[in-house]
Amino acid sequence: MIIRSRPPAVGEFGWIWIALVLLVGVSALVAPSAIGLASVYSMLPFASVLVLLAIGQTLVVQQRGLDMSVAAIVTIAGLLVAKFSVLTGSPMVGVVLTCAVCGAAGILNGLLVARIGISPIVATLATGALYFGVARILSGGSAMPIPPSLQALAQARLLGAPVLFYVAAVLVVVVSLVLRSTVVGRRFIAVGSNIAAARAQGTRTAAYQIGSYAVAGVCYAIAGIALAGFIGYATPTAGSSYLLPSIAAVVVGGTPFTGGKGSVVATAGAAMFMTLLDQLVLSLGASPAMQLLAQAVAIIIAVSIRRLPNPAKLLGRHRRLA
Amino acid sequence: MPQDIRLRVVGVSKRFPGVWALRHVSFDVLAGEVHGLVGENGAGKSTLMGIASGALAPDEGVVSVNGVDVSADPDLVRARGLAIVRQEPALMPDLSVAENIFLGVGAERRPRPSEMNLWAQRLLGEWDPDTNIDAAERVDLMNAQQRFIIEIVKALAGDPTVLVLDEPTEHLMSDDVGRLFDRIRALTRRGVGVVYISHRIREVRSIADRVTVLREGQSQGTHDIASLTEKDIVALIVGKAVNHEFPEKQPPQSGGRDRLEVRGLSGEGFSEVSLSVRPGEILGLAGMDGQGKREFVAGLVGLTAGRGQIVLDGTAIRPGSSSHTAAAGLQYLSGSRHRDGMFAELSVRENFSYRTLRNIARAGVIRREAETAAAEAAVRSFDVKTPGVEAPIGALSGGNQQKVLIAGILAADPRVVIVDEPTQGVDIGARVFIYQAIVEAARRGISFIVVSSDAGELAGLCHRVAVFSRGHIVGELAGAEVSESAIISAVLTSGSDRRRQGGTESLGHRVLKWFAGNWAPLATVATIILALGLYAGISNEFYLTSRSIGGMLALVAALAMVACGQQALMLIGGIDLSVGPLMGLTTVVMSFFFVKDMPLEMQLAGWVALFGVAIAVGLLNWALVDPLGMHPMMATLATFMVLQSVSLVLRPTPAGMIDFEFLDAVNTRWAFLPVAALLALAVALALDAALFRSGLGIKLRGFGSRADAARVAGINPRLMRLLAYVGCSVLAVAAGVMMIGQVGVGDAMSGNDYTLASIAAAVVGGASLFGGRGSFLGAFLGALLITQINVVTTFLSLTDGWRSVLLGVMIVTAVAAYSRARKMVVAA
Repeated sequence: MIIRSRPPAVGEFGWIWIALVLLVGVSALVAPSAIGLASVYSMLPFASVLVLLAIGQTLVVQQRGLDMSVAAIVTIAGLLVAKFSVLTGSPMVGVVLTCAVCGAAGILNGLLVARIGISPIVATLATGALYFGVARILSGGSAMPIPPSLQALAQARLLGAPVLFYVAAVLVVVVSLVLRSTVVGRRFIAVGSNIAAARAQGTRTAAYQIGSYAVAGVCYAIAGIALAGFIGYATPTAGSSYLLPSIAAVVVGGTPFTGGKGSVVATAGAAMFMTLLDQLVLSLGASPAMQLLAQAVAIIIAVSIRRLPNPAKLLGRHRRLA
Repeated sequence: MPQDIRLRVVGVSKRFPGVWALRHVSFDVLAGEVHGLVGENGAGKSTLMGIASGALAPDEGVVSVNGVDVSADPDLVRARGLAIVRQEPALMPDLSVAENIFLGVGAERRPRPSEMNLWAQRLLGEWDPDTNIDAAERVDLMNAQQRFIIEIVKALAGDPTVLVLDEPTEHLMSDDVGRLFDRIRALTRRGVGVVYISHRIREVRSIADRVTVLREGQSQGTHDIASLTEKDIVALIVGKAVNHEFPEKQPPQSGGRDRLEVRGLSGEGFSEVSLSVRPGEILGLAGMDGQGKREFVAGLVGLTAGRGQIVLDGTAIRPGSSSHTAAAGLQYLSGSRHRDGMFAELSVRENFSYRTLRNIARAGVIRREAETAAAEAAVRSFDVKTPGVEAPIGALSGGNQQKVLIAGILAADPRVVIVDEPTQGVDIGARVFIYQAIVEAARRGISFIVVSSDAGELAGLCHRVAVFSRGHIVGELAGAEVSESAIISAVLTSGSDRRRQGGTESLGHRVLKWFAGNWAPLATVATIILALGLYAGISNEFYLTSRSIGGMLALVAALAMVACGQQALMLIGGIDLSVGPLMGLTTVVMSFFFVKDMPLEMQLAGWVALFGVAIAVGLLNWALVDPLGMHPMMATLATFMVLQSVSLVLRPTPAGMIDFEFLDAVNTRWAFLPVAALLALAVALALDAALFRSGLGIKLRGFGSRADAARVAGINPRLMRLLAYVGCSVLAVAAGVMMIGQVGVGDAMSGNDYTLASIAAAVVGGASLFGGRGSFLGAFLGALLITQINVVTTFLSLTDGWRSVLLGVMIVTAVAAYSRARKMVVAA
């Protein structure tokens, strides 16, 4: 029998939107310039790059993994697209090849984790060093220009908003829909939730684990191309500052390190939140040091708030039947 | 007289959701007696022992050991002299045999750590003078019977006054059973009370003085063993009440060919098993745990590797692939729902439909309305009590969980269903429902293989029952022979002697074993360091000079120190991302106290400040991880940002030149060797000595190796974590002080690269992120190797890029080799 009447709960992935609304409200009151058109325009492209990265990181975390090679793959993607575009004479072919190579880098990560059994942190730490090395060798240590057509695309605007924002939004929607409503997505979540149970029910679990790193690699590739295109050139250190923010976005968005359920939409919201938080701290005239402190506090609050007993859940416990 | 009663259980009750595990159970164990405790699986024996050991708290009633109430206090239970030999030994796999026995006895009985191996070997020798167990070897290298003997020796070493043996002959060979019985008799002569839990009635009759029978959580009384025949005991165990819970058996369809045929299937734990099942037939698999029935099922459904033939409706299925097996129509439901039966945090709907996703999807997209409708229909027809199909299945009672899972399997239109313990943790109402569902499905032509340790269940449900022993089918009951007592007697009388495993070790295995050991990483890394140094020396004559080596070692000190800190955390399965910024903060703090012409008292204040920072950061990390329960990665990531921010507020840009005299002191050399590096080496060696030779170090490793077994040994988890986090921060601050020799100013960002480098150094040196492994010397050598790679590449005129590639490849190779070897050696 089904006992209905459940009070609506915020849920683990709902908090970020409440926080985002609060933050926008606070910004409007104390530092309207932080959410002014000009600063939103300057913020959105970088927020979009972070969203793209954080999508990949979320997928890996849903498989109980962690991808420390994200910074290296972002970097190498920028350099590769510059190189491939020159070699093949076509930026589009360059983009496709870059995504393929970064996907392959992700597959290597996944193989080390799922087949060899190295813990994700160590495996991706090592491959991160490897990919960074390749990036240095490729570039010879100097920046490489991005073809003008790609630059134009990455810097273009559509209906007032940067194209990169649309790219990120489309990817969030696609990944979210696939996870939510397809067979592959359901199995993906199940493998992350309990790999032994998924295997016992006939799922090829290694494919899903490796797949998460591979798709993540492609997400990083798109982010790397977007970043290099927006700046106009690729450098051998472009991605270095993105590792911690990508993890922070996942954490603040509410996807747990224990795997299984997760939300790329919440992660995207968290990426926006973190970027806006930085902006607000800056507009208040505080030093960049305070940005870090604000982020740390956001992480700690994000984790603690989900540990608070949910009033709806408490009620539910009384009603639970043996 | 009360002092003659060793263990007293009075009116103990325990209720789990949906079932009474124990109801008003009382009995006494007298000094000098062997008290048998018998009953079927699920009769409440293990719950009762959990309560007696203090691991579980009773809902009602009192447990006292030697006259003292010890309810729910494992430490007091131990201190009062009760020792338990568990069927699944509570041993810490990464510790040596000797260390396990050492931690297993009370503190006052422990020898000096330096004498531990001799002491433990003597104890093992008392058990069996010809023992094949080496006290110095790690427990993960031991097989099941050796582990069980270690568990017994550990319990006896504590000189207990009450000894509880849980199914002690399950893992023992006959000569060891003899030894055990001799030992039990010697103990009882000294006035020890022994509780002997077993399925095997014959054994209990031969050793026990009195026996208490449990059935469905209730005591059937305590009896003098002499007053009961074997038959009487079986009657008490089974009960006279006729079971009404089973629906009438329907005869399986006759004629036609077999639905499933297994020919000569062999694998880990079973060999040459052949059986067949007809459409609509329910086949039971009986046998003691560990005799192959569950191992066979794992092989049959493709969870473990197998050789042999599996033919389903005339089509062969490849063994060893669970996806092929499931796709062919062979559905498996595990006996351990939480481990591999369900997705606890996913909803009832998602758990129900997992096996039928293809049917409810169109072009790979799940039709949500159809899915919800199907789940709701199943909930109704199986009478599942749930707040709704969107409730997480983990919040339901065991019986309702099982109903959802079985409904999901039946919806998948299977040809053969393999169910392990269909009613484990299921209340009586749901049990009847599940039996009906199985029989009903069989009537529709679905074949079942039911694995159960409940003979009554097999008798009530199955058309045929195959009995496993030593990995083979040794008997089969069919038709009218299928009765509870016939199954029990077939299981109990089937030989269960174990053959001694192994013999001489192959060379390959010895090599593997070495690679899995504690010293392999040290030797491997040292060899690579020397080889790389030699190669660089040959390629560039300036490399092997005291100047270049001294310069390299100067760089090693800081990394080695912080790697030791990281290693301390990895020993307990933790990680600290905040060490890098902490090193940066150290330079910032120093830049305020150790500048030119600073009075001595200010320098002293500086040292106090540094120490305070170390303790405070360690406490912060610990507080976030332990009381607040944050994942170590998240917690130390937050600390990372906090520290970075504090440093940047104090020193927005690098500033505050450190006094040159102080820098000179940090950079002092002894001959050409930097003193800081020698100091780091000394610290690593001292920490290793503490780790392997002191009680505290052994406890730390034990906790990291297996937390629940460590808890049983009385190790406080909070204290261990506190020690590791604070220790790590102290070492990171020390590393920061050494780093100042290169940095020279207060620089907030100067330490950031050390976070990842310290993790790399520790894992190259043999640390495992799963805890329990590695050494501080390993971390030192790991740091040395990483620094050497950085230096050597410049001497070999390799670019930065190649250096980074080399580092990555080396980490992967080293870690893959260690983890591969550890896995294989445990499997062997």
